[in-house]
Amino acid sequence: MTWKRALIPLAAMPVIALLGFGLTRDARLVPSPLPGKSAPAFALSTLAGDSLRLSDLRGQVVLLNFWASWCLACIGEHPLLVAADRRWRDQGLRMVGVVYQDTRGNAAQWVRERGGDWPNVLDEGSRTAIEYGLFGVPETFFIDRRGRIVYKQIGPVSEQVLDTWIPRLLADSGPAVVSPAELQVGRSPGYLRTSPDFPATQGTTPRKP
Amino acid sequence: MRLLLATPLVVFWLAQQATAPASPPSRPDSARDSLLEARVGEVAASLRCPVCQNLSIQDSPSELAQDMKRIVREQLVRGATPDQVRQYFVARYGEWVLLEPPARGVNLTVWALPALVLVGGAVLVWAAVRRWVQPAPAAAGAPAPPPVADPGELLARRARLVSALEELEADFADTKVTAGDYDLLRQRDEAELRAVKAALKERPKRAAARPAPAAVRRSINPVVAWSLGVVAFGAVVALTLTRSVAPRAAGGTITGIDLSGGAAPDGGADGAEGGGAIAPVDTARLHVLEARVARDSNDHAALVELGHLYLSQQRLNRSAQVNMRAVRLKPDARESAEAFAHLGMILWNAGETDAGLQSLDKALELHPDFPEALLFKGIVLFAGKRDMAGATQAWERYLQVAPADANTARVRAMLEGARRAAGSSR
Repeated sequence: MTWKRALIPLAAMPVIALLGFGLTRDARLVPSPLPGKSAPAFALSTLAGDSLRLSDLRGQVVLLNFWASWCLACIGEHPLLVAADRRWRDQGLRMVGVVYQDTRGNAAQWVRERGGDWPNVLDEGSRTAIEYGLFGVPETFFIDRRGRIVYKQIGPVSEQVLDTWIPRLLADSGPAVVSPAELQVGRSPGYLRTSPDFPATQGTTPRKP
Repeated sequence: MRLLLATPLVVFWLAQQATAPASPPSRPDSARDSLLEARVGEVAASLRCPVCQNLSIQDSPSELAQDMKRIVREQLVRGATPDQVRQYFVARYGEWVLLEPPARGVNLTVWALPALVLVGGAVLVWAAVRRWVQPAPAAAGAPAPPPVADPGELLARRARLVSALEELEADFADTKVTAGDYDLLRQRDEAELRAVKAALKERPKRAAARPAPAAVRRSINPVVAWSLGVVAFGAVVALTLTRSVAPRAAGGTITGIDLSGGAAPDGGADGAEGGGAIAPVDTARLHVLEARVARDSNDHAALVELGHLYLSQQRLNRSAQVNMRAVRLKPDARESAEAFAHLGMILWNAGETDAGLQSLDKALELHPDFPEALLFKGIVLFAGKRDMAGATQAWERYLQVAPADANTARVRAMLEGARRAAGSSR
């Protein structure tokens, strides 16, 4: 008789355990299949008009930063990228910006205003963005000397992320060996996603591109 | 008149009436094209848009989703199978990108659970109906007595209990049981003994009071009960399942409610002349245009006409989106005048009177006699700025350039009002 009465709590326990487990997880984390894989190749034209091929940078550590002039969070992370470029360029760090859903004019002006003299390429039709499984901007890919993605930052990079990954990748002159536990995707708290599709994020007056 | 103008509904009604859009010739799709579109739509509907919450890239108007859809189309044209296309996106975005999780591993729970719930529900209904049609219990009351009717058995039990109690006493005396156990067992057996005795006393009375066997009394006809149970279960399943599984009806919105500006604007209910009705829109035309834009997001003519139709439906966000895209594509072309006029109206509606006027002026700069822009400008000046002279000027020009139609009388009346207001304020 009593085992029947215990049946309901017994059945409820796994459900409660499952829900409780769900509470310990960060729903904003999206596992990405990309870390550990080789970075998708691209050949795009830069804002300056040159052509840039990712494969030409093989052998160097590449920070691939997707951004847009309409993206608010990009403004916040930009000084960190400028500082990183200044600090590690001589040791072989190559920064590459990919301009996402933006016009050449707006992007060029944004760079002029905010500094940074690394190449920025235009991504027509978001093809490269989709190749890299982009969710929004900013997103930054850390690519090792063998051309493999070792880390993907969704949302703006932090100083800590840069300090953790760049020296490690620079020090690693040979084949990159990263333990699977390190292949992860991080997302900064307070990640601000903006979309170019809503006029409100662009000011209320229609702007000429 | 002012009341009338204060209701955006009327304004949209006017807007709808005012512009018989120069419909660009629609290219009839070849059968192959529409077949491809159907396949693209099928694959796109199974892929999650990365920048929206739980929309497929088929449903999402975002630029990234449109770009992804273009890649779906290209790969299908190149001969990839739908599964290969999906695999391409899974390799880049992870399994997350699939709206339907593949039925393996942990994901199986998601697929099995509904079936389990369905079976569980059926069992519950079955049990409920069974209890319903079961014979009514013989009697209420007499909480503890064991449900035994046979006096012989009752007597045997009484004897057994009495001897069990005696044995317990003996065991306790020999300290074979602890005091705690002794109390517990004794209480249990004594309680049962009391119940058995009560039942023995009760029995003759009960048998006399109810000679007929109580078992045959049913509270409901079992056939009726079973059919009711089956019908109720079937109705619930049919209602919930069809609603959750059915594909969206043509022209239906993603949420089932039109959230993009469909809510009645303030004061909309009192517009006697507006009738409160959103102008009917040619939905077939809407679909043709949406398909054209999906095929080529740079189809300027389609964007502008779509902007007009969305505006007529009061789907302001959508209208703003396509109009914005149109003006971004051709910021300085005469064809963009209509898009700027739409944006002016939308901005004014959003409370941005100055920005709205700016957009309308831009429209008139591109196309000085564009009737819709003149009509809108008059409305914004009149209702938004209380600039009667400006409104008068715009509407006078409108009457000169626009072909006479249903609006003419209306605009004449508004013009009259503006002139009167200008006169009285002087």
